[in-house]
Amino acid sequence: MLFVIPAALYVVVFQFIPVAYGLVLSFSDYSPLDRGGPEFIGWDNYASIFTDASFARAMGITGRYVLQVLPFTVAIALGLALLSNRVFRGVGLFRTGLYVPHVVSLTAVSMVWLWIYSDSGLVNQVLDFLGLAPQRWLTTQDAALNAVSAMRIWKALGSNMVLLLAGLQTVPKDLYEAARMDGANAWQQFRAVTLPGLRPMLTYVVAMDIIFLAQGFPEIFVLTQGGPYGSTTTVNYLIYTEAFQYNQMGSASAMAFVLFAFIAAFTIVAIRVGQGRRS
Amino acid sequence: MRRTRRVPVRTWTGIAAAVAAVSLVAACGSGNAGDSGEDSDSGDASGETLVVWFPGKSEAEMALVNDTIVPAFEEETGAQVEVTFVDWPDLSPKLNAAFAAGTAPDVIGHGVAATADLAANERVLDLSSYIDEMDPELRDDISVALEGGEVGGTPYMVPLIMTARLLVYSGADFTEAGLDPEAPPATWEEVHEAAEQLTVRDDDQITRSGLLLGSQPIANQQSFATLLWSNGGDFLNEDGTEAVMNSPEGVEALQYFADLYQGEDPVDGMLGVEWSALPVGEQPVVAGTASMQLVSAGAIVDYQAAAPDRDLRLMPPPAFEGSEPGTFGGPGNGLMINADSEVPDLAWEFVASMVEPETNLAYAQELGQLPIHASAIDSDYITSNPALVTAVEALPYAHGNPNVPGWVQMRDAMGQHLERALHGEADPAEALDQSASEVDEIIAAGS
Repeated sequence: MLFVIPAALYVVVFQFIPVAYGLVLSFSDYSPLDRGGPEFIGWDNYASIFTDASFARAMGITGRYVLQVLPFTVAIALGLALLSNRVFRGVGLFRTGLYVPHVVSLTAVSMVWLWIYSDSGLVNQVLDFLGLAPQRWLTTQDAALNAVSAMRIWKALGSNMVLLLAGLQTVPKDLYEAARMDGANAWQQFRAVTLPGLRPMLTYVVAMDIIFLAQGFPEIFVLTQGGPYGSTTTVNYLIYTEAFQYNQMGSASAMAFVLFAFIAAFTIVAIRVGQGRRS
Repeated sequence: MRRTRRVPVRTWTGIAAAVAAVSLVAACGSGNAGDSGEDSDSGDASGETLVVWFPGKSEAEMALVNDTIVPAFEEETGAQVEVTFVDWPDLSPKLNAAFAAGTAPDVIGHGVAATADLAANERVLDLSSYIDEMDPELRDDISVALEGGEVGGTPYMVPLIMTARLLVYSGADFTEAGLDPEAPPATWEEVHEAAEQLTVRDDDQITRSGLLLGSQPIANQQSFATLLWSNGGDFLNEDGTEAVMNSPEGVEALQYFADLYQGEDPVDGMLGVEWSALPVGEQPVVAGTASMQLVSAGAIVDYQAAAPDRDLRLMPPPAFEGSEPGTFGGPGNGLMINADSEVPDLAWEFVASMVEPETNLAYAQELGQLPIHASAIDSDYITSNPALVTAVEALPYAHGNPNVPGWVQMRDAMGQHLERALHGEADPAEALDQSASEVDEIIAAGS
């Protein structure tokens, strides 16, 4: 019991209390500049959110961001995990190389991609080499969210691949032997053995990706600042501007809890779907 | 989001204090006005500590402040000065958190636009009594700058620099295009005609923009301000209670701005591109990818040094035909004193030392801006460069954004609609009507 106290204190002081205080703030009107402190306004912040067009738009952008990153990152990570589950020379280097992006902070990676997407950056240099016209990746409405999504897919590959690789290695080898004896080809083995065996880990990967992607902020802050004209303003970025640009801590906290509710709901659905298929 | 009804709940104060103490104190680093000890009226401040935050992280500014200004002040007063330079994007969040935690600095450097909100919340000192005691000659010399730090007629900030957005143009490009660099355009209509001649295209791609105005968020509002004011328009009415940017003058100004990118003959190929943060050598007008570019006038010295072959010059501020010139600028960032500072007199001594003529001239020079002293027009720094003379002569036409509470929110609300118009996704009149409507809502909410 004694040994648990430091960790418990840490969780209570630095996690539970701030979250609880955030919940309290979401029912208040509070600016850090105001000497009066938070003032209770009931459900008004929540009521305002549901009539706020900018919040609805940010929810839509966040949803689109999750949906256009999640399938690609999971599918590609699965392919890479299948590749790196084989024994070949340099497999360790292969796995390490793919995992490196996960080790570097998202902010630092975003700075690198800011250059990659710049007018004279790597992508446009490649296009120029191929005789194609340069593009404005981060400053046009059509391209910006897709460009951020491509970076995020790349960033998420490493951790997803390692998790799925771990999942692959828990699938009993004798199931593959049995499938082969039954005449199953590679695709049939994948469908009948690999996927069912991997489902718990896949469920975990999907759930965690939903949680992280729906909270996308550093990449947006560094690459686009929510623009052009709000086309990459995710809910977390909107919360940042509401809280730290406009000092509306109450409504920002309410937005954070609404986002939390949506993330929790989608995560539960993802887990239920995963469990349902397994059963 | 808008403020709604208020029902005070005093029991939250304890929770707020506890959480603020735990989370905000840990987050906000040094800068505590409360541990500075007694104040001194005499200038002998031995043993006292003054905490100062400057906005931005300019290497030249940091070197001047840390190596010259602060040591001289410490020697003169005996006080210890702790200076922190805070990146502009982080400044407001850090400052607000510091205020909430009671750890805000004694001297606060910020942009003029931040003054109104801080004054409305009684976070900064009314500087009237200090300014009244200044040497009258010095006070007159900086009176234009001091007015920029006032909110409702009360001075809360002492600006440190003056700015004016002016068009820098390449004499070499003018000559190449058959234009006379000695007779630059005097109206925005003439500027556009010149831009059409200066624009170079490769098929439908613009390889050299004839005219560049800042069009990314925040910069687009400042560019629009320049056009709006030089067409006789304004953002708010005189008492700041109503948005008026959707006037016919405003619509004409925004139409002009949008036409730089839209239509059959665009002249600006960098819509939405963040070029203002590029190094001097990569600035489009320096690198040769633009012939005219709206810049902060004081930067001309560095631009000329970086590209002597471009023959870079400053153009006096143009106006729309029939209107007076106007441009974004006026007093720039400056210093305020924390209302909770325990050493307000020492803080004022520091502020006063920053506006001494020699110090201020050196400071403005290092920042690539203009000094606040009217008499600086006779200084060697200004008179040695005709472009800087043009810049100083343009200052009477420079306006600052409205210094009203909630301005940042108004600017951002407006900025989104300006972007839509610049991208051709909204008619200028519609974009400005929506801007005015949202700005009116912010004014009504009293934020």
